[in-house]
Amino acid sequence: MSVHSALEELAKYRVQNRRASQEVFEKGTSVLQKNGHSKMGDEVWDFLEQLALAAIDVGRLDVADQCLRRLSDKFPQSPRVDCLAGIRLEASEPPETALKYYSELLEADPTNVAVWKRRISVLRRMGQTEEAISELSQYLDTFYTDIEGWLELADIYARCNQYDYSLQALSHTLLLAPQNPVYVLQSAETAYTAGDLPLSLKMFLMVVDMTDGDETEFLAESTPLGITVRAWYGVKLCARRMSENPRVVTASASDASPPKHLGLLDELATERLRVAYSSAGQKGDIAQGRGIVFSWVASP
Amino acid sequence: MLGKALLLSATLLLLHAACMTYDHVSHLKALVQPEAPVPLNTLYESILALVLGILGASMNSPALKDITWASEMKKRTIDDMDARSGLASYVSRGKLFHDQRGASRPT
Repeated sequence: MSVHSALEELAKYRVQNRRASQEVFEKGTSVLQKNGHSKMGDEVWDFLEQLALAAIDVGRLDVADQCLRRLSDKFPQSPRVDCLAGIRLEASEPPETALKYYSELLEADPTNVAVWKRRISVLRRMGQTEEAISELSQYLDTFYTDIEGWLELADIYARCNQYDYSLQALSHTLLLAPQNPVYVLQSAETAYTAGDLPLSLKMFLMVVDMTDGDETEFLAESTPLGITVRAWYGVKLCARRMSENPRVVTASASDASPPKHLGLLDELATERLRVAYSSAGQKGDIAQGRGIVFSWVASP
Repeated sequence: MLGKALLLSATLLLLHAACMTYDHVSHLKALVQPEAPVPLNTLYESILALVLGILGASMNSPALKDITWASEMKKRTIDDMDARSGLASYVSRGKLFHDQRGASRPT
């Protein structure tokens, strides 16, 4: 892989926030060996940071040390490099050492957001969930617009099976990023797990609306792709459970109104899933497990 | 292909019309006559060049890129959206699997 294309891929990963540590490590070390980083200009520091994180993730701490040395030579006393040094410390020292290091940095500069987040991450990794939750809540009270923080809080609550609190954290995410269908899908699935089926159905249909808005095709001719298929699965699951158990239709914790045409929604979801998994959708592309899907949607 | 051909013919026609106009103006100057309007066929030729050029340029333009929000969201995966890189844990068991040159192996 040439240096130029490797650097392009790495830049794309940075933009998309993709972790992909093994690939980043391989491409990054090949660039380092071919000495491509000397011609990069100012982008080389972002590249070194990305490579350092990937190297720590993969377990190659020697490469991470190299990158870290170059970064600290160029930017001494930088809070961003200090945070990276802390992550390197986390990888080889016991977590209490890392916590002490972060506390020192926070005493010196209480507004260092990145270090506060690393502290919360270490607390969570150590298993101290209550402290992690309280620190994270304090952090989010101070810095409300941090979507990552709200997603992390939702994840922590969901791991402890507290889906109502998780849904509350996700509702803040929806306020901050209302146009993102992935967060709506996550909220829909959390609401389904929490038992709030009318709300969950509404949100699955919102995901379909957001992602399947293909103006050039009619619904009858378009194929659901990507997370739209997942949303149609959600609609089918909700419709099935609501028709089996009429009590859950009205027992909504968030007072969501019950759906009016449940049978029609069920039929629509069935048809959409069949289209998604049949070869007429994408040319010559018969999905795996088509028979299983067809028999599942057909059963009452 | 057709777009490029039309564009080329439009350029040639325009150059030819320009040459004819230059000819006309230098002819008048040589005979010391007052300014007369450009002959009609030069005018028609330049208008034809304009029409052909517009056609060729529109056919030659690259394909339209998708700029809708929905199409951009289709390219992102759930893992990208859920990355949480500031709060992620970079400590894994990877270092037990990899041979670290220059570092001590765990016993």
